[in-house]
Amino acid sequence: MLRKADNSATFAVAAALGLFLIGGLLTTVVPPLVDKSWAKPFENHDPAKGPTGKLRPYTEQELHGRAIYVREGCWYCHTQQTRTLLADTKRSGWRGVDSPISTPDEFVYDNPHMFGTKRTGPDLSRVGGKYDTQWHRTHFRNPRDLVPGSVMPPFPWIANNESEFQALVAYLQTLGRAKNWRPDNDYER
Amino acid sequence: MHADRAAARAETPSAATVHSDAAAKWFLISAISYFFIVGIIAITIAAKFVWPELLGTVPYLSYGRLRPLHVNGMLFGWLLAADMGLTFYLLPRLCGVKLWSEKLGLATAALWNVIILGAVVALLGGWNQGLEYAELPLPLDILVVIAWVMFGVNVFGTIASRKYEQMYVSIWYVMGTVLWTAFVYLTGNFAVLFTTGVNQANLNWMYVHNAVGLIFTPVGLALAYYFIPKASNTPLYSHKLSMIGFWSLAFVYVWTGAHHMLHGPISQWLQTIAITFSVMLLIPVWAVVYNFFATMKGQWHQLRENVPLKFLMSGVVFYLLTCFQGPMHSLRSVNAIVSKTDWIPGHAHMAVLGAFSFFAIAGTYYVIPRIYRTKLHSEALANWSFWFIMMGGLGFFVTLWLGGFWQGWQWNNPSIPFIDTVVALKPVWTVRFFSGVLIFCGIVMFGYNIMATAIGARGEARQEA
Ligand code: HEC
Repeated sequence: MLRKADNSATFAVAAALGLFLIGGLLTTVVPPLVDKSWAKPFENHDPAKGPTGKLRPYTEQELHGRAIYVREGCWYCHTQQTRTLLADTKRSGWRGVDSPISTPDEFVYDNPHMFGTKRTGPDLSRVGGKYDTQWHRTHFRNPRDLVPGSVMPPFPWIANNESEFQALVAYLQTLGRAKNWRPDNDYER
Repeated sequence: MHADRAAARAETPSAATVHSDAAAKWFLISAISYFFIVGIIAITIAAKFVWPELLGTVPYLSYGRLRPLHVNGMLFGWLLAADMGLTFYLLPRLCGVKLWSEKLGLATAALWNVIILGAVVALLGGWNQGLEYAELPLPLDILVVIAWVMFGVNVFGTIASRKYEQMYVSIWYVMGTVLWTAFVYLTGNFAVLFTTGVNQANLNWMYVHNAVGLIFTPVGLALAYYFIPKASNTPLYSHKLSMIGFWSLAFVYVWTGAHHMLHGPISQWLQTIAITFSVMLLIPVWAVVYNFFATMKGQWHQLRENVPLKFLMSGVVFYLLTCFQGPMHSLRSVNAIVSKTDWIPGHAHMAVLGAFSFFAIAGTYYVIPRIYRTKLHSEALANWSFWFIMMGGLGFFVTLWLGGFWQGWQWNNPSIPFIDTVVALKPVWTVRFFSGVLIFCGIVMFGYNIMATAIGARGEARQEA
């Protein structure tokens, strides 16, 4: 049958598009219709079902911080997903407590998404609450002052711009906080 | 079998058709310029891994802004532009007619340059949409769509007016590229804007994966199917096999986007579908590669003298290797080690540099002397450019695989602090930097050779006049 595509451009076009669209539609349009957790913000009040908590939309300031995160390309070096791998839950963990794995309902307000593909630096999906503002300021000025051997670039123009710096830190502190999983020794308390 | 051979030679040149090739020329010349300029950026970001403070106080030159410029510049400024130029060369010849409109082709080339220059300004300024491969801001995306429609009109206009009824494989691949790119690009740059979170990521990966699989792969194979038989002066081995390769590619590729999120926060069943189809990708790849190897049977000795053929056949080997790695990465157990590590840039560079850029470089070496009706400026220099890019490329790929695998192994042992896994990779990044320098030297030789050929030919023409 495909011999026909040798001589008829119209037939070749129709077949090439048809075959492509089967997979195209089934893997892009259909999944969000089937899996509702992609669009429903995380909310759980029953400790028996895992960590409790509620995902809230970003504030104005956090969105500003997020825009800086996008602009500076932090996401080329940092992922934001604790995967279903034991090592991930340990590495994202905090003082001996493993972090919960990331679920789609924690990312409903993320636009653009920041899952990332490359971990030159550590995963940031649970970094919220890990460090205080002073730590971040020193780190952005020159990461090597805090972590010798780091290859993270310095960001003096953020550290020295108070509103940008505060916004970025406010955003970082939201990461992974929808789920109440940290034992009560956050720096904030 | 007889018909197969006939199809392979469908493009007996018709003496009556004189091709102007103006659009092809301009696309190729600008593509080579970007190959060189973006090459400098590539080396700069590789250097930043060795010396993290380098240019560290200049926001416009920070890693997070140069990296998207490197990726977009190489993909769209160099590779896709070169592919479009070479398409404008081979399509009219395969159809036995002139290009539908040289004027439209020149306008497309001009618009493409506007887009790339706009991309440089936008990305260095941090005007980044935040989606991989779709970094360019919306106004530039719209210009890309316009340019693509102009390209498509020229392609289909030429095909509609063709003299030979039967279409050679390269023509199907070019048609597939035009059509699939349209859908893939619209999904990745426009549809994503209406979604958030995992839903958006799913569309984003569909685009990222198919930018390689349904844009650069089909147009790259269109070149390989044309230039391998041409450069070796041997008919294609099997028409039937090329059909299997093409139609299975059309069906299988698009399903696999979610393999970028294996173990991540995306539905398990979608991950399983992506894995299944990723493994099935072995079918189109092996069908294509077998066909090329069988074509070369008894002709391998030609590789010694023939630079385009060297690039083509090494490109085929890299294509086979990349497309073997891909399905393997999608297996959950392997993915748990290599995903998110430095292995991945090793893999990506083998596809885009090792396979598809090799095809485009080969095509350029073959085409430029013919377009300018002259001889290549220097065969020896061309040979050197091959060995520099080849050695640099191998150094780059192999160290990143070894380093990345080791890195993944360390990550899976949570008792090793993260920073130790960073420090452990420093020798790997140093080798990567020096390999990059070798590749860049090869690019300079290639670019100089092509420019010298073009300028030399003009000089000759002026003397005759
Ligand atoms: C070139 C890659 C790179 C870029 C770009 C980058 N980082 Fe990093 N980042 C690293 C590395 C490597 C580390 C680990 C060493 C360290 O802590 O400095 C790190 C560590 C971090 C940490 C500490 C994580 C932890 O759990 O200890 C935070 C927070 C962070 N980066 C935020 C950012 C932000 C925000 C940006 C963008 C403004 C950014 N990074 C850009 C490479 C990068």
